Amino acid sequence: MPILSIPKEPFGPAVMTAAPSAATRWRVRLTSATAFRIESLLALAVMTAVMTVAAWPYFLTVSNALNILLATSTLGVIAIGMTFVISSAGIDLSVGSLMAFSGVVGCLAVNNLDAPWPVGILACVIAGALAGAVNGSLIARAAIPAFIVTLGMLGVARGVALVLTKGVPVYGLPDPIVYLGQGRPWGIPAPVILLLATALIAHVVLIHTRFGLYAQVIGDNEGAARAMGVRVERMKVLIYALSGGLAGFAGLIFAARVNAGDPTAGSSYELTAVTATIVGGTNLFGGRGSILGTVIGALIMGVLQNGLNLIGVSSYYQQIAIGAVLVFAVWLNRLNRSEGRRR
Amino acid sequence: MVRIITASASFAVLAAALGSSCALAADKPVYGVLMKTLSNPYWGAVEQGVRAAAKEADVEYFTLAAESDQAAEPQLNACNTMLEKKPVVMITAAINSTILLPCLNHANELKIPVIDLDGNLDPEITKKAGVEVAFHIGSENEAAGAKGADYVAETLGKDAKGAVLVIEGLSGNITGQKRARGFANELKKVAPSLTIVASLPGDWDRQKAANIANETLQRNPDLVAIFCANDGMALGAVEAARSAGKDKLIVVGVDGNSDAVKSVLAGRLNASVAQLPYLVGKEAVANAQKVLAGGKVDENIYVPTLVLTKAVLEAKKDPLLAYVK
Repeated sequence: MPILSIPKEPFGPAVMTAAPSAATRWRVRLTSATAFRIESLLALAVMTAVMTVAAWPYFLTVSNALNILLATSTLGVIAIGMTFVISSAGIDLSVGSLMAFSGVVGCLAVNNLDAPWPVGILACVIAGALAGAVNGSLIARAAIPAFIVTLGMLGVARGVALVLTKGVPVYGLPDPIVYLGQGRPWGIPAPVILLLATALIAHVVLIHTRFGLYAQVIGDNEGAARAMGVRVERMKVLIYALSGGLAGFAGLIFAARVNAGDPTAGSSYELTAVTATIVGGTNLFGGRGSILGTVIGALIMGVLQNGLNLIGVSSYYQQIAIGAVLVFAVWLNRLNRSEGRRR
Repeated sequence: MVRIITASASFAVLAAALGSSCALAADKPVYGVLMKTLSNPYWGAVEQGVRAAAKEADVEYFTLAAESDQAAEPQLNACNTMLEKKPVVMITAAINSTILLPCLNHANELKIPVIDLDGNLDPEITKKAGVEVAFHIGSENEAAGAKGADYVAETLGKDAKGAVLVIEGLSGNITGQKRARGFANELKKVAPSLTIVASLPGDWDRQKAANIANETLQRNPDLVAIFCANDGMALGAVEAARSAGKDKLIVVGVDGNSDAVKSVLAGRLNASVAQLPYLVGKEAVANAQKVLAGGKVDENIYVPTLVLTKAVLEAKKDPLLAYVK
């Protein structure tokens, strides 16, 4: 895996077999940042072309493109958090429920407790981050598998959201929050701008900070990370808190979009987010992640859903298509890697 | 690299196969129909009604549905996508009272009339959100409950004495609450000596309703009737009652789904107050036509319900039976 082992040349057998130099280290960074999402970009292009033809003339318009981006925004933000988790060889199944939970908490804070709107915004993100930190603590310190802990949180957070709202959406948010979901600065829906900003920051964090590097190192080889002096337990708590916080942020965006705290928000988004992340080229077994890839992965899902909706394909077939795309994208990744480093 | 290109090409073929042959001719006016999910037979029947009416009126319709009745945001996205096709009218069954509001607002701006199937939109909230709804159409749930009470009173006689159990839907769900309330209010009027000993949420769940029926029978052996807010729960309750040896106990459900019809014909379930989703879909399109032609329609349009009993089903005389699917 790329980070610690000496990387082989991506496009052919070894030219460079010497000890890792500054250049190789660069290539490692570049590899994790760019090279592995070429085929996802290709898949996105092919998909866009097919939809353009199949749903002519509705698909290729500015308003529809904005529609797709808007529809991808919450999923994209969640999938960005998921990228950190999966890079560290973990999994977070609670994100969809945390999105609902945080949105509800924020709405209740401003509606029932009359908190000012900035508190409402913070409440969403902090509620998600705290729940994520609970996930991380149980995983790192109680050594319960991530799958189990976050599956538990999936149930708990959804249940709490339903209890807090008695199952009925809480309608009505202050205007500044609603602007985050419905505003259109420069004609672009605000959630799209929030997604792009989140992606940009997350990209820098994953590629250029120690936090991002350590997350991938833990995913590559936890023992080696420990030997390097990485405080693995603390890192895991932070990684899951980040994932939860981003789920909370997505919950805020969604609540703002519909002007309500909806306890059923984000249902089954955990699987869609995992799909977007994997389709974007992040390694399911950790060690390598790409934020740009994840955004492309989320866009692939968005284009697919939007195009199939425009054509009028029933939601049953849509699920088949999404399943097929997941397997297909991972296969493409396989092909590329086995070509690069055939043993 | 060659393999990657081959793979991409095969992917393109796959995608094209998925997307092909579905293009819609856009010369006729298109009615947009947005459902909750078609995996529920109720919405499937609504869609059949829409199809029949659209064929009659010679209009195109374009249906989308979410993958489940929990997939709120996907339904909002589908709604936005639908507006790209510039339908002449939007007939919607929102997953909850708030999810579609931004999309429906946009539809209003585009001067596309919005129609609410089955009262999923809350008039109070749509008013706050500034969404204008052309009309709400569906079954009147309180009236359905009341019809259940009428049936109980008719069967037992209006001076009958005894205990009655009500099993509501999911706690907090407005539909279940309305049916239970309609039943309770009407029962007080038509059979004042019958007393409701408990009104409990059965969460639309057959097993849970069976358990509630069992427990209540232990406590109130004088139970004479059970009203359930849907058929699934009624089927659970009737099996519990029969296995406890209570053959005379009257059990009434709401919906008129195919399982309930079978059970009624087999002489187990006493009655089901049938909703007529097929008629809901049909009438929605017919009234939408009126709106589009500039005519006036009622703000709330109620589609009748029908009490299905063994006698009614076997006589095959009621014209509304044609709409029971």
